[in-house]
Formats: sequence, C-alpha cells, structure tokens
Amino acid sequence: MTRILATLLAVVSLASGAAQAQIEINVGPPSGFIATTSPVYFEGHAAYWYGDRWQYREGGRWHGYREEPAYLREYRGRRAPERRSYEGGHRAIARRR
Amino acid sequence: MRSNLALLTLIAGSALNACATQTAAVGESSPSASQAADPAIGELNEHHRHHHHGGVTQFVSMALETLGLDDAAKRPQLDQVQRDLRACMLPARDVERDLLRVLADGVAAATVDAPRADATIARLNVAALAVNDCSADALNHLHAILSPTERAALVDKVQAHWDVWRQVNHEDGGRLTDLADELALTPTQVEQLSGALHAAMSGFGERFDAKKAEAHVQAFSAAFADDSFDARTVLGNANGLLATHGSARMALFYETVTPLLTQEQRGVLAEHLREHASHSPAVSFN
Repeated sequence: MTRILATLLAVVSLASGAAQAQIEINVGPPSGFIATTSPVYFEGHAAYWYGDRWQYREGGRWHGYREEPAYLREYRGRRAPERRSYEGGHRAIARRR
Repeated sequence: MRSNLALLTLIAGSALNACATQTAAVGESSPSASQAADPAIGELNEHHRHHHHGGVTQFVSMALETLGLDDAAKRPQLDQVQRDLRACMLPARDVERDLLRVLADGVAAATVDAPRADATIARLNVAALAVNDCSADALNHLHAILSPTERAALVDKVQAHWDVWRQVNHEDGGRLTDLADELALTPTQVEQLSGALHAAMSGFGERFDAKKAEAHVQAFSAAFADDSFDARTVLGNANGLLATHGSARMALFYETVTPLLTQEQRGVLAEHLREHASHSPAVSFN
C-alpha cells in the first residue's frame, strides 16, 4: 500500500507541477507587442507574458501553459516584462508640453 | 483502503488530464483593440510611419533591441553587431533626415516642395539598396552568436516588424486618426482631409510590390532560422523598395494635409517632423 501510495503521489506531483501542460492558442500576441517586448527564454522557447498567460510559438502555432511554470512565475515576480519605448516624434513633444 | 485508492486514482487521473495537450481556443481581444490601448505599440506605429531607411535590415536591428538576452558573454558581441548594422544604415538614415527636414520646412511654410522631396527619396533608394550588401558580415556574425531558439525569436520579431510596417504604410494605417488626435482637428477638417487623402492615395498602394518585400522577409527568415546561413545567398533585396514606398507615402500624406491645416496646426506638425529628424537610435526601455 505504501508503495502504491508513493507511486500515485509521484504521478500527481509530476502532473500538478507540470507547467509543461500546454494549450494551443488561436491568436497569439499582436505583432506590435512581439516587436516591443523582450521575451523570457524557457525550455527552448521565447515566452511572452500576454493576456495574463505566458505564450510561446512552436511549429508556427502559439501555445500557452495550463499552469504557470514556477520559473516563469518567479521571473514575473522579480521583474516586469521589458518593453521598448520608441520615444520621439509627437509623443515626446506632447510629454514636454 | 479501497476508498483511499479510488480517491488517489481520481486525483492522479485529474492531474494527468490537466497535463494533456489540448486544442482550446483562448479568448483574446482583437489586435487593433490591444494596440489602441498599448502606448508602446502606438509609439512603434509612429516610428514605422516615419523611419524606413534600412528596410529588412532595419527590422533586424530593431529586433535585436528586444531579443531579451541576458547572457553576459553574448552581450558585447550583440552590441557590436548592432553598431555594425547601424553603421551600414547611417548613409540612408542621413538622407531620411534630410527628407524629414524638407517635409518639416514645407509643412511650416504651408507648401511642401514635392520635387525636392522626390529627389531626396531617389537618393534614399540608392542608400537603402546598399545596406543589404554592407550588412551581410554583421548578419552572418549575428547568426553565429545566437542559439537556434534565439534565432527563432529574432525571426518572429523581424516578421512582427514587417507586419506592423505593412499595416501602417501599406494598409489603412490609421494615420489620419492619429493626426486628428495630435492636432485637435475639427470634424470638418477630418472630413476634408479624409476626402483629400482618399483622392491623393488612390492607386498609390497598388504601385507597391508587397510580394517582393514579403519574399525578402520570408527568404531572410527561413535562411536565418537554419543551422547554416550566409546573408549573401539570401534572395531578394527589398530594402530600397521599403525605404522608397514608405517615404513616398509619408511625403504624399504631408503634401496633402498641409494646405488644409491652420497655421498653428502646421507649426505643431512641423515640430513633430523635426523631432523625427533628430531621432536617435538609442534604446529606451521601461
């Protein structure tokens, strides 16, 4: 019984901690977001935090994680996604006014 | 005991189900709605409407700015690649500055000197075409530095910049909407400008060979994602095409709207253009 319990708990642990569980996403982040945001590299993917979930492209399609991987959750807790700001033009002037 | 086993089996089954790959649609707001609410995307649109000098090479250079690599060993090498790419684009950028100043002067004076603008765009074409050959070594160096995952990320970003550029310079682009916001245009002015722009731009987009530009972006993307890469073997050079189309459309826009603006609005718009002319490539992050 102890062995059975240990085995089942190991399966549960593996599964519940499995950030690897993925869902396919019909529409990924907009191009403007990808162009202005630095990704986080995790498990061979460039992941973007968008729409309250991490998303990454694989095989030409966008995927997300059913559960947020611990590494990415901790990363997000440490620092906000880095966005590129194209200051200049009318926006810089508007800020100065 | 039997009930305990059943409970554990149920838990395990549920967890395994959660693990399985699914094909579920995830609800998301439309890209246009997202862009309207995202200042960074608005700024990017504004940038791509006014800066066309490097074509696809410029997309690569911009992609490098958000590649997100913290690797201390790679950072100096990537910075060097970035400097090399910018050096190759410098002659074209200088011509683009000339064009922006021509447009700014014309807007301020109520009449844009179209022949002078066209002559500057012709110079820009020559300078932008030369960027392709000049940047080949830097692109080869970049390929050697990056891992396959990082190369895939860069390709995604190049395609994203091309997509944004195409939206704001070839498709509708929303330029008049932004102008109305910038200059506090009256409803009558918006109506007049809309009609004038519709007439002026009629047939303009059809003269742009979008397939040639798309082919260059796709050829670069496929080649760069591969394990071996030589920028000199990438087919196509749409840098001149992108630079001239984007600049010609920009010039036509300002030539068309200028006579319909008040003196005060022209002053503000001229200042906007001069700001773009002095735009530094320095990177700014949040």
